[in-house]
Amino acid sequence: MSSIPDDLQYTEEHEYVKSDTEDGVIIIGITDYAQGELGDVVYLDLPAVGTEVKRMDVFGTIEAVKAVSELFSPAGGEVVEVNQALDADPSLVNTDPYEEGWMIKLRVGNAAELEQLLSASDYAQHVGE
Amino acid sequence: MQWTLILEDDARCGRDNMSIDHGLLQAARTGGGFLRLYRWNPPCLSFGRNEPAKTRYDGDRIRSLGLDTVRRPTGGRAVWHDRELTYAVAAPIDTFGSLQQTYAAIHHLLAAALRRLGVPASIAPRPSERAPRLGSGACFAAPMGGEIVVGERKLVGSAQLREGDAFLQHGSVLMEEGQDMVARITSGLSSPIAATSLSEVLQRPPDYQDVARVIATEAERCWKGSWTRQTRSPDAAVGDKFGDSCWTWRR
Repeated sequence: MSSIPDDLQYTEEHEYVKSDTEDGVIIIGITDYAQGELGDVVYLDLPAVGTEVKRMDVFGTIEAVKAVSELFSPAGGEVVEVNQALDADPSLVNTDPYEEGWMIKLRVGNAAELEQLLSASDYAQHVGE
Repeated sequence: MQWTLILEDDARCGRDNMSIDHGLLQAARTGGGFLRLYRWNPPCLSFGRNEPAKTRYDGDRIRSLGLDTVRRPTGGRAVWHDRELTYAVAAPIDTFGSLQQTYAAIHHLLAAALRRLGVPASIAPRPSERAPRLGSGACFAAPMGGEIVVGERKLVGSAQLREGDAFLQHGSVLMEEGQDMVARITSGLSSPIAATSLSEVLQRPPDYQDVARVIATEAERCWKGSWTRQTRSPDAAVGDKFGDSCWTWRR
């Protein structure tokens, strides 16, 4: 069983959304289930700070031993921070996906878009857990 | 599911092969699956999508040896494509289930086909150690969990790309040895190659057509749906990134 924290929101594409301490900013990463499927992560291609994305735009790619996959933005907005620690150690995505392994922080343009995300129980059902 | 089996008559250059595989991925996004079996001419060195080729490999030596080069759309590490059979599977993402189920379905099919040829192929268990970073050299330097091995030596190297609603997985079935070419063009020390080949295992040179035929037959038997066969791929896209040295040497 993978970890699916109750207090986060999720996409069907296996990203999670966590509220940042700053209002209107969300933290995005991939779920424990997703990292388990991908296997050991070896490289991340993430956007530069300042990049504007729309909801469900591809904001980057992740390369693991099993596959290269696209990363989808759960909401539209501006990238305000990128996890630089992943440059040196992409395996943080595997070892601590919800804390040290976060990927980007996004200042959300339209908060209503977050209402379309999955709850933890919906996501658990989506991945069959 | 409508499957198209492409048994290529003619070998192609690296640029065309990667362009065609990527084109099959695009086609799979609108439904339908593809299994393509093919060769390379001239032999070609392919880099993984994100591999640091500029620092890892000796560009002057590659040029002096006159090697064809290409960067794959998929990840992983360098492969020397010479005496091998290459497979590509492109299909909608839910064809075989999850990512790991997809990987397993394709490798179990290939292993079963190879066993029909008398090769004691098996699936490598998941290792206890983490995977090496991208700078660690040849694709065939070490087997990872889920890969096709004979004993502890890798026989097939595979990589998968998932874009939108479809995936592409392609890989090399080594007919004969030759992966030491990667070590020859590596800057500095390279990992020792832990590969084997059909020739070594069978103690005779394998026939490409025999290997292709047994894989094709196994796929038609195991993967449900209707199958059509063709001997030519769709044409490679004109002017795409796979012929662009800026893409090949982007890192």
